[in-house]
Amino acid sequence: MMYEQEIVHIVYKKLLALYPQTFKEQLGESMEQTFRDLWNEKQQTKKELFGFVLWTFIETAIGIFREYLLLISPGDIMQTILKTLGSSTLLSLLLILPFMIMQVVNRRNFNEGFPFVLFFVMWLNLFAISLILLPIVRGRRTADQGMANPSATQGNTLLTNPKSAVMISIILFLFPGIFPLLNSVGWLSMDRLFNGPNPEVAYLPGQILSFSLILFPIAAGIIAGGPIVRTLRAGGSLFAHPLHLIIVLVISFLFAAGLVGLIVDQWPCFMGVPNCD
Amino acid sequence: MTVTSPNVPLTPAVFHILLALSSGERHGYGIMKQVETDSQGKVSMGPGTLYGSLKRMLDAGLVRESDKRVDPEMDDERRIYYQITGVGVKALEAELERYRRIVTIAQQRKLFPKSFAHDV
Repeated sequence: MMYEQEIVHIVYKKLLALYPQTFKEQLGESMEQTFRDLWNEKQQTKKELFGFVLWTFIETAIGIFREYLLLISPGDIMQTILKTLGSSTLLSLLLILPFMIMQVVNRRNFNEGFPFVLFFVMWLNLFAISLILLPIVRGRRTADQGMANPSATQGNTLLTNPKSAVMISIILFLFPGIFPLLNSVGWLSMDRLFNGPNPEVAYLPGQILSFSLILFPIAAGIIAGGPIVRTLRAGGSLFAHPLHLIIVLVISFLFAAGLVGLIVDQWPCFMGVPNCD
Repeated sequence: MTVTSPNVPLTPAVFHILLALSSGERHGYGIMKQVETDSQGKVSMGPGTLYGSLKRMLDAGLVRESDKRVDPEMDDERRIYYQITGVGVKALEAELERYRRIVTIAQQRKLFPKSFAHDV
């Protein structure tokens, strides 16, 4: 039990090391002590230790995530995020609405089901583009309206530092490529991973995995756009971080290309051509 | 986070921490236990929430680090204690006043479990 306790405490200490530097210096020691106190309490009362450890680790990880979010844009971060999420959702929905209407109006075979997956993928592409580009547009508007705040560039964490942000962004962007790579060297079967043992039957874990992989380039675009947004808010130029801008544009272009490809492919169906697929 | 302005309601976590510290200095674990006691076990705060809120409260001047000492009721390890500041007391009082006004309104409108029972 002593060995187990030591391991858990070491891992928790490693987890606390992920907090932003200032937070860690100010409260890290106290948090570590509190964790030891909670552990001792659970041990004395002979309560379920696994559940306690799992809950504490998840709760602390969420806390770490929250601290980084607050550092990216101090003050109204949640409001900003919710505003961007809401606007992106609505904007994407409005943009695919004409295609949905075309699909309904021109539909010839009424026994056919409505292609929800197609429109979800179209919406997701648009959502990704607007999620990446909207903060930049808003940042530029803030500067144009003379509401620039020179302190907006402050902060030096992994996500706020332009150099580390670009590295994280590239890693996230390239991460999904690991699957085709492992597949090509024969260490992994992509077909089995995404389609399951029976390709005829819908495989939920594979679908969840596919969806999760799309989130990586979206996150990469948002992180790369972070320094651009902060520079714009501080009254700086859009081209102050050219590498970040290139990453943002490449990712947005890829999502746009995916969307255009889908529209071109499905255009006959939108126009009501019989037996289209 | 604008926790210092008396016009802005406090988050439940900040309110409970201030309430826990209003009866004396406490360390992190002590705050957690006091919050549980004050809320009759209904509010259970994890370290992420507690210290995230404490960070904001330290920055806003609602609480401050007191000192590092041994808790005689626990082991012989030295713990960092936190104490409520004058600003913290004012923020807590403003929040309690807000609650008092809400309870008054609820009383005036007879919004109590008994009145709900009539509707059911």
